[in-house]
Amino acid sequence: MSAPGGQIVVDDLTKVFGGNVRAVDQLSFSVEPGSITGFLGPNGAGKTTTLRMVLGLVRPTSGRATIGGVPYRQLPNPTQTVGAALESASFHPARTARNHLRIMCTVADLPMQRADEMLDLVGLHDAARRKVRGFSMGMRQRLSLAAALLGEPQVVVLDEPANGLDPDGIRWLRGLLRHLAEQGRTVLVSSHQLNEVEEVADRVVILNHGRLVRAGSIAELSAGTDSVLVRSPNLQALHTALTGQPVTVEPVDPTAVRVRGMSAAQLGNLAFTAGVELHELSLQRFDLEELFFSLTSGQ
Amino acid sequence: MIRLIRAEFLKLRTTQVWFWLLLATIAVGALLAVANIAPHDGIRSEEKVPDLFATFAASPAYILVFVLGVLGVTTEFRYQTITPTVLQTPSRWAIVTAKMITYAITGALYAAVALLAEAAVGVPWLNSKNIPVHFGNSEVQHAILGTFGVIALFGIIGLGVGALIRNQIVAVVVGIIFLIVLENILLAIPVVKKAWPYTPNGGTQAILYTHGDATPVNGVHLLSTWSGVVVLLLWAFVPAILGAAITMNRDIT
Ligand SMILES: Nc1ncnc2c1ncn2[C@@H]1O[C@H](COP(=O)(O)OP(=O)(O)OP(=O)(O)O)[C@@H](O)[C@H]1O
Ligand SMILES: [Mg+2]
Repeated sequence: MSAPGGQIVVDDLTKVFGGNVRAVDQLSFSVEPGSITGFLGPNGAGKTTTLRMVLGLVRPTSGRATIGGVPYRQLPNPTQTVGAALESASFHPARTARNHLRIMCTVADLPMQRADEMLDLVGLHDAARRKVRGFSMGMRQRLSLAAALLGEPQVVVLDEPANGLDPDGIRWLRGLLRHLAEQGRTVLVSSHQLNEVEEVADRVVILNHGRLVRAGSIAELSAGTDSVLVRSPNLQALHTALTGQPVTVEPVDPTAVRVRGMSAAQLGNLAFTAGVELHELSLQRFDLEELFFSLTSGQ
Repeated sequence: MIRLIRAEFLKLRTTQVWFWLLLATIAVGALLAVANIAPHDGIRSEEKVPDLFATFAASPAYILVFVLGVLGVTTEFRYQTITPTVLQTPSRWAIVTAKMITYAITGALYAAVALLAEAAVGVPWLNSKNIPVHFGNSEVQHAILGTFGVIALFGIIGLGVGALIRNQIVAVVVGIIFLIVLENILLAIPVVKKAWPYTPNGGTQAILYTHGDATPVNGVHLLSTWSGVVVLLLWAFVPAILGAAITMNRDIT
């Protein structure tokens, strides 16, 4: 690990393409070291554009983005500070996977065997000397990842890295991201696969129409959203028992209610004490997908 | 900078373009030697021998190295390898400078190959006609050095045009049309043709022909050798500088 302070700060960033396409609109958020941040939003929300501005590839119309306090274009050793995987298409088709990485090693003054080590890491050992032309989507995705991790960067920025990966690959990627965050690195991952993100991310930043709709840790977002489904033939008695308790009760169907503000254990105990017969007592988990749709639909 | 230049050579080596263009350079060099010696009005006396070594740079064969330079940048945009390139080296000046040096050196290597091909075909042939070839002759040396310089500069010109235009097909087509078609049209129009000595071909002719003013082309007088060098340097550096300052900074999406 090289440069300290791998915080990404996006500050009031705006990008207008061709005078009228407002791809990113006054966006501000930050990404902390030692955690995985999921960057979510529907197609065309501005995720890729934002990442490209963070990486100095697209010039913001206004606002700025910094990595460890410095704009990307002023980083002294970018390869060793930030690793990015943007599109799976950015390879010369006639060049081999290994040569692609060796060129990067040359620029960054890394030993050439780093190229082979990374190819082993991403499972491309056998394809190392094959031309990228013949690579499948998932293989390209793995090669992008190898390129991103080449310089052991403090900050890792990945645009839809799970695209094209098989289920094994996705599980492996999840483990890899976890591992990187545990080492104290900053990990920013855009994704469409909400379940994947929910499982692996510590924080999420949700974007719609170029604007921030919600940012926070999964814990914050799910706070108060966990509920318990209680089914009983005698709801009337349950209501009586819950009177005076700090809970909200919401009817689900004639034999069940959804209760917020109390754990399943507390509710079970309460019902037992009051002698209320229960047919079901189940925890309803926070659902990122539901939150995502409620935040990004109908706009 | 050394690392960037080494990486550029590695990029060049790990694709196939360099190989096909090198084959073309050898073939064209050999053919040009034939074209200079075989016809009745070909090289028949010792003072015409420098023509054998000037012919590669003096004919549109320099297009081969020009195209190599154009591809040096535009391939990166075509296959988006410009993204990793720029991520690793955010300074567009550094990228363009490394490429300029790489393609100037490559141009000089191709010039050497072309000269060798010309010599391999031409020298034994001329000797068999009892026309001696003296490499100590100052005009022969001028033609050889001029070829190195011109071809190396055409590597940079191609690179600059590529950096300025970014689009591969457009850059190649615009470059070839300008160098081969427009310049000749220019030369055919009265008054306007006075600008021709300041074009890449005009500069090249001025560098290669020591006779200079004595042999006007289409009634237009050539510049002196050193003025020709300045003209070609401007054609090499102006597009590259504009490319590094402006178009290379455009959004990469
Ligand atoms: N070079 C460009 N020129 C014009 N408009 C652009 C350009 N790049 C992106 N856009 C527009 O900006 C908006 C945001 O695009 P962006 O690619 O950032 O979205 P995204 O969130 O990454 O979408 P996806 O999930 O489909 O990858 C879209 O409306 C897109 O059409
Ligand atoms: Mg995108």
